[in-house]
Amino acid sequence: MKEAISQNPKCNVNAELSSMVARRAQGEPLQYILGTQPFGPLSLLTRQPVLIPRPETEDWAIRLSQLIRPTPNRPLSLLDLCTGSGCIPLLLCHLWPQGSTRAVGVDISQDAINLARDNASRCHIQLASPPSDSTTPSDSVAFPRKNTFLPLLANIRDPSFVLTAGLRPPFDIITSNPPYIPYSEYQNLPVSVKEYEDPRALLGDPPDNSISDHPSDDARHGLSFYHCIAALVSKHNLLAQGGVVVVEVGAGQSNDVQQIFHQEAGLKYTEVWKDPWEKDRVVFARRY
Amino acid sequence: MFRVACSRVSRAGLPQQSRPSRLWASTIAHENAGVWDVSPVVQVVRRKMERRAELQSQISDTISPAQHKQIMKQLTQTDRLSTAWEDWLKTRECLRETETLLEDTDPTMRSLAEEERERLSTVLDGYLDKTFPPLLVPPSTTSHLSAMMELKAGVGGSESALFLAEIMRMYTRLANSMRWKASIIASNETDNGGIKDAILEIQGEKAYDMLRWESGVHRVQRVPATEANGRVHTSTVAVVVLPLVEERGSSGSDEDLFSMDDIRIEVMRSRGAGGQHVNKTESAVRLTHVPTGITVSMQDERSQHQNKRRAFQVLTARLLDRKLSQEVVQRRDARRNLVASADRSEKIRTYNYAQDRVTDHRVGFSLKNLDAVLEGDALQEIIDVLSRKHQEDLLAEAMES
Repeated sequence: MKEAISQNPKCNVNAELSSMVARRAQGEPLQYILGTQPFGPLSLLTRQPVLIPRPETEDWAIRLSQLIRPTPNRPLSLLDLCTGSGCIPLLLCHLWPQGSTRAVGVDISQDAINLARDNASRCHIQLASPPSDSTTPSDSVAFPRKNTFLPLLANIRDPSFVLTAGLRPPFDIITSNPPYIPYSEYQNLPVSVKEYEDPRALLGDPPDNSISDHPSDDARHGLSFYHCIAALVSKHNLLAQGGVVVVEVGAGQSNDVQQIFHQEAGLKYTEVWKDPWEKDRVVFARRY
Repeated sequence: MFRVACSRVSRAGLPQQSRPSRLWASTIAHENAGVWDVSPVVQVVRRKMERRAELQSQISDTISPAQHKQIMKQLTQTDRLSTAWEDWLKTRECLRETETLLEDTDPTMRSLAEEERERLSTVLDGYLDKTFPPLLVPPSTTSHLSAMMELKAGVGGSESALFLAEIMRMYTRLANSMRWKASIIASNETDNGGIKDAILEIQGEKAYDMLRWESGVHRVQRVPATEANGRVHTSTVAVVVLPLVEERGSSGSDEDLFSMDDIRIEVMRSRGAGGQHVNKTESAVRLTHVPTGITVSMQDERSQHQNKRRAFQVLTARLLDRKLSQEVVQRRDARRNLVASADRSEKIRTYNYAQDRVTDHRVGFSLKNLDAVLEGDALQEIIDVLSRKHQEDLLAEAMES
């Protein structure tokens, strides 16, 4: 606790300090109290209830940034589903060479989209203008000289999502840290998670699951969003030839998610990445 | 006037008036050759110039471009020395001409000549003491490096921790006055305002070259604030100064120091299910360099990524330090060098409060006004003395080779 307070250089006022201590003692996450969280070299804003970027996510996002190296001559497009604070696309836009990356981040929460937008300007990542359906010259996807990020409010589980959001598929890279906590485990989450972070960012099987194409038996295992992502990849041609899908998974979900990608998305090649704590954390898939 | 007359009369070789440099100690005045021509410094420079002339004579149409390039490279190393040497020879020649006029029949001319002789002597002295020595010493290969200072409280418990906080402040102040950037990258504080251990990063040109003399055990003698009986305690703080390589473009230089295959990265605590399940910050990281067994733990930063970066910085600094000290040992076999060879467990300096005095044991240099040292200003003076000693050692080394 003492360490936490001393880490914020601004809280030298006693009253402010004790109020912060009180909030922390209530169980409020440190990151909401301090208002920021380092993510790779970036310092991102954190605001309740948007999911706080996790060190596991930081680790694999950096790993991805080293595995794939777009250049201004070979630019790539990136779609981040359930983008939250925007941490994944913003970090990639920051780490990859300018003019090499055009990123879109989608989230169902207006809070998340606002925060992602604020984070983009905080990190000096250029915001792209929303896609217009007006007829622009043929090469409307020409890459600008800087990396760009476009936060979009949309529900990816709505079947008409790709059209209503005005996306321009296919994408070279699809990333996602979708909600993956099964309902049974949600009950036992620490207060700092359950009482403060958006359940829509955590619950792998949202209560309105009727929208989902897969009311199957594993609808209680927190895998709904992986089915949804697989469907988007297979039905909407969201992923370019040779493109990759990189998703974070919860403890014990990596095999199921690989299965889903093999069977429902037609992604034959998958691998699993471990996090720094030796847990299976990421399923990486490539379309050949 | 008297000096001139004296040196001319005494054929027996009266020692020249004391010169500032110790290199002059054995120099004897010669009537005609002049004292300068037999100075060891001049002899070394002359040898180097002969070698240079030899190299220049090798340049011909018959050598290969590669050879040519190599010779040119060697020649550039003595370019500045060669310019200084030519100036020296000119001044020396002027002096010879002036000396002939000392016997002139015209008293006015004689007096003018003596004045001129005085002036030229001063100029030549300047070459010996100031111009030639730095040109003979090989340039520092570490002058671009920043420094990382590791401080650890030693003997003396909480008093030692209090003193650590004070000398850390001293280094921060010195850094400010040198226009270096000082940042505390790790610090382990005690309840009474002391610091058990800390890592200070000092970024700036020559930071490592100047601060490296601070490695060793610093001893404080005083009545601790916590001591009720007014007894003087002796406590220590150990300081290790490491060379810090800039991270940018690090891939090139780091690869020489270690291979990623030799590094074991451990995160310190378990996070249970991890990921979305937990939002507690667990950022501690530990690196182990397997071949040397060096481990670095870092937990002061808020994210694991930052701690990892810091830990790699510290590891790189330690490995580079190892490499540099090995190079020093290899280069100078028998020769004992002031600081580079100093054992880090050796007591290097005492801060004595009762006597208001700071003594550096390596050069036997004492300074009154302890506060001025802790404010950073007088510390600069001590460091200057140590740097000069180092330069002298290097020169002596260069002259032996």
